[in-house]
Amino acid sequence: MASSVAITQVQPVGFARRVVELLPGLALLAGVGYAGKFLERTINVYGKAHHLTLPNIEYVLWAILIGLAIANITGVPAIFKPGVATYEFWLKAGIVLLGARFLLGDVVKLGGVSLVLVAIEIVVSLVFMTALGRAFGLKPKLTTLLAVGSSICGVSAIIATQGAIDADEEDASFAIAAILALGAISLFVFPVIGHALGLNDLSYGLWAGLGIDNTAEVTAAGALYSDAAGKIAVLAKTARNAMIGFVVLGYAIYWARKEGTVAVGNKAAFLWSKFPKFVLGFLLISALATASIFNKEQLGSLANLSRWAFLLTFAGVGLRTNIFEMRKQGLRPFAVGAIGEVVIAALTLGLVFGAQKFLH
Amino acid sequence: MTEKLDDNARREKPRGFRLSLDGWAVTLALFLSLLVALGVIKKIPW
Repeated sequence: MASSVAITQVQPVGFARRVVELLPGLALLAGVGYAGKFLERTINVYGKAHHLTLPNIEYVLWAILIGLAIANITGVPAIFKPGVATYEFWLKAGIVLLGARFLLGDVVKLGGVSLVLVAIEIVVSLVFMTALGRAFGLKPKLTTLLAVGSSICGVSAIIATQGAIDADEEDASFAIAAILALGAISLFVFPVIGHALGLNDLSYGLWAGLGIDNTAEVTAAGALYSDAAGKIAVLAKTARNAMIGFVVLGYAIYWARKEGTVAVGNKAAFLWSKFPKFVLGFLLISALATASIFNKEQLGSLANLSRWAFLLTFAGVGLRTNIFEMRKQGLRPFAVGAIGEVVIAALTLGLVFGAQKFLH
Repeated sequence: MTEKLDDNARREKPRGFRLSLDGWAVTLALFLSLLVALGVIKKIPW
């Protein structure tokens, strides 16, 4: 996740200028997202009116495809880029609002199972990716970045780890490009495999949440399968995101010892600085919903607000994916990432099947 | 010995108050939830 997109409280003139700079890109996100929703509805209405059986393509896929077409055919002009980069912001706001659709008991149960699966997945995938990186002769810090990106949280984990282990910008760029390319592929492949295997919403949602790297792609891959699967996928990924601080801390200590520097003074402060705060917002909204602070209609409104936020996110996923730029990146980091991705997907699928009896 | 990460953190620390992307996203979501709970926002259609 592009945590570099930070909104700073500055002088009023600067703030107003910054908001104005965001407007074209925000309008593009809204336009692409709404075009996806419009296409889904129009095709459904047309099919019904003409008694045709047309494939029901969700707005999620339309929004991503329209975004991809713009990004790869005409390119996204510079004026739109600041606003398009806010898709991560809408993703996180959407996840917090999604908390209204979960009772806290379900969060604890599913989140608890997810955390156990996440712990197993992280250990196995870190070991596997490290061995794979060595076998392919990648630089050790690039291998570390790829391992963290594949096992936990995609781009945000890579950015956090790069700062903590003092890795090269170039290594981080390779790792991010590989993770984004693989995320874009997973986004389309996971639903196909899920349907082929006849996975139910719960199993598929857990699998997508554990197996796909970047949160935006997890959210989209879940929503492409079904609304219920999307909810579960986001919950599982949120549990995975919560582990980011521990793994980054572990690697910071490892590299500091290896290079003879001192890594971290106050470990609790370090963990807090790396902890994704939207996880707490998600839990808070879920607790408020469980305490019946919101009535049924209000819960529906919060769920719809979450959907609108995700609509902007899905448009952003397409608009920021430039296939030609990704092709310029190194082949070996991509190969290591791709092999790791397939193995992690198979591993997490096995874990989900193994956890079935604890989920009912 | 000055610690490496703390050094980085100090170098990157901006002047004045700074809220992270996460912080802003949570703030917006909670503010919207408050407006819905208070009935200021009646209904959000989809």
